[in-house]
Amino acid sequence: MYTSSNPYRPIRTEVLATLEETPSIRTLRLKPEEQISFETGQFVELTVPGAGEAPFTPSSEPSVKDVLEVSVMRVGKVTERIHALRAGDTVGLRGPFGSGYPVDEFVGKELLVVGGGCGFAPLRSLMYELFRRSREFKKLLFRGGCKTPKDFLYREQIQKWRERDDLDIELTVDEADGDWQGKIGVVTTILDDLDMEPQTGVAVVCGPPVMMRFATMKLVELGFKKNTIYLSMEKNMSCGIGKCGHCRIGVYYTCSDGPVFRYDRIGECANLWD
Amino acid sequence: MNPMFISATNLRFVLDELQSRYSVLVPVRDGDGLFYEVLSSTRVVIGEVRAVEPLKSFFFRAKQIVAENYSDSIPGSRNKPLCIVAAKACDLKGFRVLDAVFMGDDYVDPFYADARKRNLIISADCTTALDVCFCLAVDVKPFPDANFDINLSEVQDGYVVQVGSEKGSGVVEEYADYFQEAGAGQLKQRDEQRSRVREQVRANIRNNGVPAQERLAGAIVRNFDNLLWQEEAETCVECGACNTICPTCHCFLLSDQLSDRDLTRYRLWDSCLIKDFAQVAGGANPRQRLWMRLRNRFDKKFAFFPEAYNIYACTGCGRCIAACPGKIDIRKVLKRNVENVHE
Repeated sequence: MYTSSNPYRPIRTEVLATLEETPSIRTLRLKPEEQISFETGQFVELTVPGAGEAPFTPSSEPSVKDVLEVSVMRVGKVTERIHALRAGDTVGLRGPFGSGYPVDEFVGKELLVVGGGCGFAPLRSLMYELFRRSREFKKLLFRGGCKTPKDFLYREQIQKWRERDDLDIELTVDEADGDWQGKIGVVTTILDDLDMEPQTGVAVVCGPPVMMRFATMKLVELGFKKNTIYLSMEKNMSCGIGKCGHCRIGVYYTCSDGPVFRYDRIGECANLWD
Repeated sequence: MNPMFISATNLRFVLDELQSRYSVLVPVRDGDGLFYEVLSSTRVVIGEVRAVEPLKSFFFRAKQIVAENYSDSIPGSRNKPLCIVAAKACDLKGFRVLDAVFMGDDYVDPFYADARKRNLIISADCTTALDVCFCLAVDVKPFPDANFDINLSEVQDGYVVQVGSEKGSGVVEEYADYFQEAGAGQLKQRDEQRSRVREQVRANIRNNGVPAQERLAGAIVRNFDNLLWQEEAETCVECGACNTICPTCHCFLLSDQLSDRDLTRYRLWDSCLIKDFAQVAGGANPRQRLWMRLRNRFDKKFAFFPEAYNIYACTGCGRCIAACPGKIDIRKVLKRNVENVHE
C-alpha cells in the first residue's frame, strides 16, 4: 500500500540505468528517494515529468527494497518518453498499489506459470520469489511464448532458468529464426502434456489480452479449476487507489481489487479481454 | 435539541457572521435556475429546489492541483472552510456517495476529505419540485432527515431549524439569541409543506413510471445484452454533460502539466461516455461502442455501487435529464430495465 499522505504525489526517483531488452521494450532500474516495498504482482505508477504517468508491475525481486526495475513496452505517448530516459534522469514513482500474487496460497501445490510477450515482466518478479521459496512448492512449471525469438525479454536470464532442476520450462515462438531451439506455435500449443495434475494445481497467466484469453480457456479445458487460475489484468489504472473509475471491471477496480484476480471472480465480466 | 425557529432577518445575520470563519455559499436565482454564489447582498433562496450545479463542484473540484514537484504537502488545504447553505436532500445523498468513494476506502482523498471535514452544511427542505425530480424513487425524501449540521424548513416569516450534528448545535448555541423554540403552528406548516412536496414528487414518479430502486436490484445485469442500450444511445452525442452535472459521478483524470522542469499534477473531472475513458495505451478498450459506455453509466450507478458501497449512486435530482442534448431520460431507461426483466 502507498503510504504517502497525498496518494497522488509521486516520489522523486533516479533512473540508475536503462537497458534495451527487445526492439520495443526497455528495462529501467529505478531508485526512489523513499523506499517502495512491493509484493510481487503489485504495480507502481511511473511519472515522466511533463509527459504523464503510466502503470507498470515491477519485474525485479520483491526482496530487494531500495531499487526496483520496470520493463516498458513502447506503445504510446508516455512510454515513448520513458524509452528516451537515460541514467541520471529524474522520474516519479507512486505505489505499490493493488494486490499481488498470493504466493502463500501456492504452498504445497503444483504450480504452472504461463507467460506471453510483455507479460514476462511481472512474471520475472514472481519467478524470483518462487525460486527463493522453491522448496515450498510441489512442482514448478513455466510455459512462455513470444512472437519471434528477438521479442523475448530477459533472454540470457531465461536461458539460465533452463538449467535449474527445480523448474520444468518450455518456450515457444510464433515465428522462428535460424538459431531458435525451442518450440514453434502459440503458447497454448505447449500446454498439452503438462507433467502435473490440473485438478489440484494452480496456474498463473500474464501476457497480452489475446494470449491471456486463449491460455485461460485452454487451462479450463485441461481441467484447472477457475478458482485456482490467477490472471494479471491490464486495464486503464490511473489513480491506483480505487477512485478515478477508469479501470473498473464488473464490481471490481483493477487497481485496488487486482491487478491479480482469480478467474472465478471476474470470469463473467463483460468485455473482460478487450 | 427541540426544533427551533429563526426569522429570515436573523438567519441573514447569522450567515453574515459565519463569513468570518467560513466561505459561505448560497443559492441565488439566475434566469430559470439557482446557482451558488459567495454570500453578498443578493437575495438568498433557501427553499425552492436544488441548484443547477451539483454541490460536488465545491469539494471535488472540476480542476484541482493535487501534486506539485514530489512534495507530500496537500496543495490548497489552508483554504477557508466551506459553509453550504440551503443544500437539498438529493445533494446530501450525493455527499453520502462521494464520501464513500473518497473517504470510505483504504485510501482517503486528502483534498475531498479536508473540505468535507471542515465544512458546515446548512440544508433546507424543498418547497416545490421540478418536473424532472424523482428523489423518492431512490430513497431520498424532498427534505433532509440526516447528514446535515443544521436544516431549515421555510415557514411564514422564517425557518424551522433542526440541528443534525454537534457542529450545528454549536452554531445554534453560539447565536442562541437569534433562535427561539418553534411553535406548534410553525411545525404544522413545515409538515404540511413536506407532505405537499412529497405528493408532487410522487406524481412525477407515477406519471413517468419510474421504478423504485428496490426493483432495480439485478435489473441492469439481467438486461446487459438487451437492445435497449443501443436504442437509448442512438441520440447520445458523447458530450459527458450527464457526468459533469451528476452529484455522484466521481471519475477523474490525472493530467500533468507540460513542463520539463516542474511537475504539476491536475485532477480533472472525466466522463465515462468519452471513447478513450477505459482504453489502455496499447489500444485495447473494453467499451469500444458508445452504447456500451451508456450502459456502463447505468451499470456503475445501479449495479456496481449497490454491490461495492451498498448505495444506489443516483439522487433523483433529474439534472442529467435536463442536461442531455440527446434527451436521454434516466427515468425511461430505468423503467425499460424493469419492464424488460422477464425477456
